Amino acid sequence: MAFKVTMPRLGWSMEVGTLAGWLKRDGDPVQAGEALFTVEGDKALQEVEALESGILRIPPDAPTPGQQLPVGALLAYIVQPGEPAPFEVAPSAQTAPESGHQQPAQLEGPASESVAGVPSERNRLPSISPRARRVASELGVEWRWLKGSGRSGRIVERDVRLAAERQAVPRVSPLARRLAGELGVDVAELAAQQPGKRVQRADVEAAARQPTREAPVGVVGIAGQVLPVSDIRRLIAQRMVESAHSTAAVTLTTDADASQLVALREQLKATLEPRGRLVPGYTEMLVRLTGLALQEHPLLNAFWANDEIIVADAIHIGVAVDTEAGLLAPVVRDVPHKSLEEIARELEALVEKARARRLAPEEMQGGTFTLTNLGMYGVDAFTPIINAPQSAILGVGRIFSRPWVRNGEVVACPIVALSLTFDHRVVDGGPAARFLNTVREFVEQPYLWLTR
Amino acid sequence: MDPALKEVWLALLRTMLMIRRCEEQLVKFYAAGAIRGGCHTYIGQEAVAAGVCAHLRPDDVVFSTHRGHGHALAKGVTPHELMAELLGKATGCSGGRGGSMHLFKPEVGFMGSSGIVGPCITLAAGGGYTARLLKTDRVSVAFFGDGAVNNGAFHEGLNMAAAWQLPVIFVCENNLYATEVPFVKATRNPSVASRGQAYGLPGLEVDGNDVVAVYQAAGEAVRRARAGDGPTLLECRTYRIRAHSEGMREVGYRTPDEVNAWKARCPITLFEQRLLQDGVADQLEIERIEAEVGAIIADAARFAEESPKPDPATVADHLYSQTGFHHA
Amino acid sequence: MRELTFVEAAREGLAEEMARDGRVFVVGEGIGARGGNFNTTLGLYELYGEERLRDTPISERGFTTLCTGAAATGSRPIVDFMFIDFLTDAFGDLFNQTAKLQWMSNGRLKMPIVLRGCIGVAPQFGAHHSGNYYPFFVHIPGFRVVVPTTPADAKGLLKTAIRCDDPVLFLEHKALLNLKGPVPDGEYLIPFGQATVARQGQHVTVVGIAYMVKEALRAAEQLAAEGISVEVIDPRTLAPLDMDTILASVHKTGRLLIVDEDYAPCGMAAEIAMQVMERGFDDLDAPVQRLNGAFIPAPYSDAFAPGLVPDAASIAAAIRQLLAE
Repeated sequence: MAFKVTMPRLGWSMEVGTLAGWLKRDGDPVQAGEALFTVEGDKALQEVEALESGILRIPPDAPTPGQQLPVGALLAYIVQPGEPAPFEVAPSAQTAPESGHQQPAQLEGPASESVAGVPSERNRLPSISPRARRVASELGVEWRWLKGSGRSGRIVERDVRLAAERQAVPRVSPLARRLAGELGVDVAELAAQQPGKRVQRADVEAAARQPTREAPVGVVGIAGQVLPVSDIRRLIAQRMVESAHSTAAVTLTTDADASQLVALREQLKATLEPRGRLVPGYTEMLVRLTGLALQEHPLLNAFWANDEIIVADAIHIGVAVDTEAGLLAPVVRDVPHKSLEEIARELEALVEKARARRLAPEEMQGGTFTLTNLGMYGVDAFTPIINAPQSAILGVGRIFSRPWVRNGEVVACPIVALSLTFDHRVVDGGPAARFLNTVREFVEQPYLWLTR
Repeated sequence: MDPALKEVWLALLRTMLMIRRCEEQLVKFYAAGAIRGGCHTYIGQEAVAAGVCAHLRPDDVVFSTHRGHGHALAKGVTPHELMAELLGKATGCSGGRGGSMHLFKPEVGFMGSSGIVGPCITLAAGGGYTARLLKTDRVSVAFFGDGAVNNGAFHEGLNMAAAWQLPVIFVCENNLYATEVPFVKATRNPSVASRGQAYGLPGLEVDGNDVVAVYQAAGEAVRRARAGDGPTLLECRTYRIRAHSEGMREVGYRTPDEVNAWKARCPITLFEQRLLQDGVADQLEIERIEAEVGAIIADAARFAEESPKPDPATVADHLYSQTGFHHA
Repeated sequence: MRELTFVEAAREGLAEEMARDGRVFVVGEGIGARGGNFNTTLGLYELYGEERLRDTPISERGFTTLCTGAAATGSRPIVDFMFIDFLTDAFGDLFNQTAKLQWMSNGRLKMPIVLRGCIGVAPQFGAHHSGNYYPFFVHIPGFRVVVPTTPADAKGLLKTAIRCDDPVLFLEHKALLNLKGPVPDGEYLIPFGQATVARQGQHVTVVGIAYMVKEALRAAEQLAAEGISVEVIDPRTLAPLDMDTILASVHKTGRLLIVDEDYAPCGMAAEIAMQVMERGFDDLDAPVQRLNGAFIPAPYSDAFAPGLVPDAASIAAAIRQLLAE
């Protein structure tokens, strides 16, 4: 049977070798022990001997010198005189040449993991020993509110067991728990202060008004009381700063003659009130007329996003509402398609919800423009901050009788200051001013609304 | 050579041929990539294993070294078991666990070859200790190379064996090189046999390529040991024809002339010539033995290739013998 | 019950096993006519002579491997190193031959060899006579490692070690050798892998290795007066290691301190702590603590003694700290 001449392993860790050259030719007789071919070594060519005597037969498709081959790769055959070489026989009689070399399995890259966001101070849980966690789960103790007695504040088994003993009745009402979270009150501490008694809203609110003793870091030498910061306050702070830093805010102000607007309101009041119907107020009127103005100046109803300006299809106007908890801006959707009464009704409901802290998230999202009315506080012109990611906000001041020149004469006239802050990235001063003019026009000549 | 011992001589020839042909087949397996790691062939040294092991019973013990294929075969490991072991098969003499350097067949007294040079000397002394303690006439043999004689194990093992009169034969196969370091560079005393004197035991130098000389010297050493007269050190001067381990270079540290000179002293060729010259056997008998051995080796190769690999689930078996312990 | 010292009890066990099985023999420096540096073989030479009580030259590697060969060929040697530090010369053959011959031969060769010697830091023995080294043997597959702390345990465990067909490290702490304790009459063997609860407690579990069990018991006694209830566990064997007993204790107390005179890195405390982490994580009320010997070779002067190894005072302090965790 033909003897296979293969690439030898010339070193314990050798996996591949390069055939350098043949020292015999196809058909030559060879003796066992004679040098047959050479392999490239680290420093010099290595001669490899024949292990059998016979006739050397090199297949036509044999590896050629210079080729790098795995150990065990077939190079040639040594046959006995008269014996045909395997590659001269019909394919069915041939044995497949060995490769002996496996492709390494494709390694899959590590699955990319999204990095979890770093929890805020508020969200970090106290540390707890595994045993305490297990016992808490067995006894149904909510351990997140517990203070740990372990060194470094760790909650340990004894803390959980103590809590379980005291926990016959819920010690914190759900409302108090939520309020405590918002006002930054430690409800566990409160509960500990009144063992056995349920912690309620009043307790939390009282605690929130208490000063704490720690002076804020970075504020040196100023005596004062530290107010806890609620979630809402924190959010407002964050968004205001964001807006201030990301927009190119410019404020234009103008004074509008509100006498027609005032007259309109009085007429509506006189007619609707006796009928028991809702009388629209100035805010909803302003929402209505702003919506109409935006239809004519769509660039003020746009967003700057990723180097693009997106002009919104619809007009949803957010209205700033001052609540105990802070400034909220519920949105009146699709303003141009709503009647004044519809807007009034909607706004009334939204404001009540806002004051009662029952606004749903979707009622505060999606606004394309914001209106902020500080008139009831006696403010005239001011510089409202854009409600990002919108690109403009209209501030409305008080309607207040002031000296005014009409037809060359000084008269007493109700005047309202209009302050428009716009994002100069999206729109320039000219178009912004033109929008403001349209608003003023609609304030001074309300009958124009009928034509829009 | 005594013609009356014809059966002994022919058995020696058969053993040497078995080793030679088996090694040649293993060389081919190695070149084809079927064997990995160390493969230290015994080609050229066959006379030593054959000449010594001819005097051993199955209950005598042999401890061998990394170049142990010859000792294994001469002691009773079959070529089938040996080849299967080097191919990593379950039917190997070590169940595929050991490969070339960790061969075991205690059933025939082959107590293991070792990948570490030296311990076989002291282990064999321990085999001698047991034989004495249990009051048997068993003997214990250590096979090692010139590289081991400068190791502490040689000193400590020979010393204790002599001090306690243990039935041990220490067989040093001095093939002039430890891997590629010439023996004459590793020591200033180039005679291994002379070291016996330092421990108070007889040391003999023998032509390791003359199987008759080895047979006679080993016979005397075994007789002494069985009689309770203590250990012997045999230095067999021989030569390995191939590289230290397969895949390594054969020359560079030695010259082709030197290799060829020793090839001309092939122990098998020399012995066959002598058998013919002395009229102990004829050409036909020799060829018959050659053919018989050839068939066995071919069968062993086929057996080894066709044997299955061991079951991976058994890999931790036999780590401990006691399983009755709580938590063992 | 009669009281014997640790050495006397172990020797009684050895004598019984040598009488029972003629294949058992002892090898070591001075263990023949002299009876051993620590009296481990006192009186046996007169009974059995030099074949079975063999004085050796100073050739630890040589006679350890010789005994390995003897064990593989049918006898049952006990190598008595005197100080376990001397065994280190034989590491090479212990790891590559003694530990592996059984496995390499597929179980056809047995390895009934006992390797015994004194361990531990004792006053002013110095850097070469104070070693422990047990993690090396626990770490290598094939060995059994035994660390008895009472005379009764020493006898029962030595008998098991001699009858065991695996290589056994039988390690006797120097500070225990002359301690007296009750030893039962009659034949008894103690299986490997069975820890004892040396003292019951509620608040904290302390696992001691070898002599440290004694110091831990002293600390427990002190702390009892302070209302602290300490449970002390003596593993008795390190390989196999009885983790079930340790885990049951941790389940009860929730806090674990391991006291080991040997060095901290990669030591028994690290191993036990990891296994408790793997199997008893939810029982832990505090991180597992360990107390080890100082990470330096053993110094000579008694000025260096304070703090060199754990003692009752440092163990008690560690327990108090652990309870505050």
